[in-house]
Amino acid sequence: MRTIIGSLCACLVFISSGANAAEKGLAIKGVRYFSYSGFTRIVFEAEEAAPYVLTKPGDGRTLHFSSYGGPFTVKVTQLPPINDGVVKGMELSQDGEHRSILITLGPAAGDTKDFVLRGPDRIVVDVLRGTAIAPSPEAPGAKAPVIVLDPGHGGAETGIVTGQGVEKALMLELALTIKRILRKSGTRMTVVLTREQDQAATHDERAALANTSGAFLFVSLHAAQGSAGRVFILDPDEGQSSPSAGRPSDFLGFDAVSEQQQMLWGTQQAGHSQESGRLGRNIARALAGREGTEPAQAPLAQLKAVDAAAVLIEAGTAMSRVKAAEAIAQGIEQYVREKR
Amino acid sequence: MTIMALVLIVAGGGGYLWFRMAGGPQAVSSVQQEAQTTAPAARPDEPFMATLFVPADGALGNVIVAVKRHPELQLQAREVVAALFAADQGKRASVVNELRLRALYLDASWTVTVDLSAASPNQKEIRASAEDELLAVYALVNTLTQNFPEVRQVRLLMDGRVTQTLAGHIDLSRAYVKRTDLVKNQ
Repeated sequence: MRTIIGSLCACLVFISSGANAAEKGLAIKGVRYFSYSGFTRIVFEAEEAAPYVLTKPGDGRTLHFSSYGGPFTVKVTQLPPINDGVVKGMELSQDGEHRSILITLGPAAGDTKDFVLRGPDRIVVDVLRGTAIAPSPEAPGAKAPVIVLDPGHGGAETGIVTGQGVEKALMLELALTIKRILRKSGTRMTVVLTREQDQAATHDERAALANTSGAFLFVSLHAAQGSAGRVFILDPDEGQSSPSAGRPSDFLGFDAVSEQQQMLWGTQQAGHSQESGRLGRNIARALAGREGTEPAQAPLAQLKAVDAAAVLIEAGTAMSRVKAAEAIAQGIEQYVREKR
Repeated sequence: MTIMALVLIVAGGGGYLWFRMAGGPQAVSSVQQEAQTTAPAARPDEPFMATLFVPADGALGNVIVAVKRHPELQLQAREVVAALFAADQGKRASVVNELRLRALYLDASWTVTVDLSAASPNQKEIRASAEDELLAVYALVNTLTQNFPEVRQVRLLMDGRVTQTLAGHIDLSRAYVKRTDLVKNQ
C-alpha cells in the first residue's frame, strides 16, 4: 500500500458518529457516478456515517474503498458501469475476509480527492482528469466528429409497447442500423451509442457520456404510435428563474470548482440551441421528405445537459425502420458536412 | 366672530357633502378599485365554468365544463383539475388516463403544485411518447393558468416527490407557464 488517502476523512466521520461507529461498519446502499469534463465523481450513499478507507496500491491504477474497522456491506445488486476514460470500471472485491470496492482507473486518471457529505450521508470520490496523460489535442479538423446515438429507455424502463415490439428494443435496433449506415457513408465520423444492450441509464449518465466523448452531436431515439416521424429540440426554459433553481436535492458540490460545475449541470444545451435547431431541421426534412418541416420545441430531460447540438427523434412504430434509419443518417450526415 | 367661523365650517362641510353626492372626483382606495374592476361575485350555488385543455390529435383542444364552485382558489383549482381527469376527452388521452390527482397546493408566490400518481397502484411505469407526455403536462398547466389568471406557474410532483419525468421525456424539475402554441385552433 503506497498511499492512504482516506485516513483524515475516516477520522472525521469516526469522531462525528460516536465511538461505536467503527464496530458497526459501513453499509453502502447506493453507488452513482457523474462524468464531468475535468473529473469523474463517484458517490457512495451510506446508510449511516461511518469510518472508511480509500487506498491506492503501488501500481496507481486502482483504488480500494472499504470500511475502517467494522464490516463492509454493499447493498447494491449491480455497480454502475463506468468507462469514461478516467474510471475504467468498478467491482466488488473479496480478499479473504476483507471486502472492498475496487475502482479501476482509466488512462486519463489523475489525482484523487475524497470527502464526506451529511444528511443523507455520502462519501464522494473525485478522480481528476490528469493533464500529464491526457490525450494531446489534435490539429483542428484532424479528428473525426463524434456522433452520439442514444437509444431511449432500457432495462426495466421499457417505453411504449406496440404490435411491432417494445420501444427499448426497437430503438436499440434503430440506433445500430443508423450506426451501420453512417459508417458506410463517405463522411468520416465516430459513432458512439449510449447503450449497446438492454441496460438502464439515467438521462444524466447518457449526457455525461456524450460530453466526455466530446460529442459533435447527440441524437436521442424514441418511438411513438403511428407512421410519422417527429423531431424535437429543447425549448427555452421560461418557468425557471435561475440555472440552479429546481435542481434535484442531490447537490454534491463541495469545493468551488465542483460547485460551479454542479450549478451549471443541466444548462449545457442552452448554448447550442441554434445548432440543435439546424440539426433538427435537417433530420425533420429528411424524415418528412419535404422542405419547410421544422423541429418542435419541448422541455426534454434528455437534452438539457448535453453540451453539443442535440435532438430527440420520435420514429413512428409503423414506419419502415430501414427508411427511418436512412433518413436520420442522411440528416446527420448533411449537418456534419455543412459544419466541417 | 365665533358664530361666523361656525357658519363657515357648516357651509364648507355642506358644500363638500353636496359635491360628493353630485358625483365629483373621489379618492378611491386600491381595495375599492379592485372590487370595481372584478366581475360581481358569483352566488355560491352557481357552477364554476372551467375551460379544460385536453390532448387530442397531437394538440390541445379546449372544452368548457361546469364544476362545483368553491370559495377558495386552491379548492377551486383542485376541482377543475379533477374535472380534467374525469373528462371524457381527458380519459381518451393516454397519459392523462394513466394518472390520478393526489393533491394540489397553492403557495404564496402563486405557484400551483400538482401532486400526481399512477392511476393503478400496480403500474410501475407510465408508457407514452414524448408528444403525449408533453401534451399531458401542458393540459394541466394551461388548464390551471387559463382558469386562474392569478396562477403564475405550475409544478408537477409524482407521489409527493420531485421526479425527473412522467414517462421518460419531459423535464419535471422545472416550473411551467402557459404555452399557447400547442392549442388547436377551433
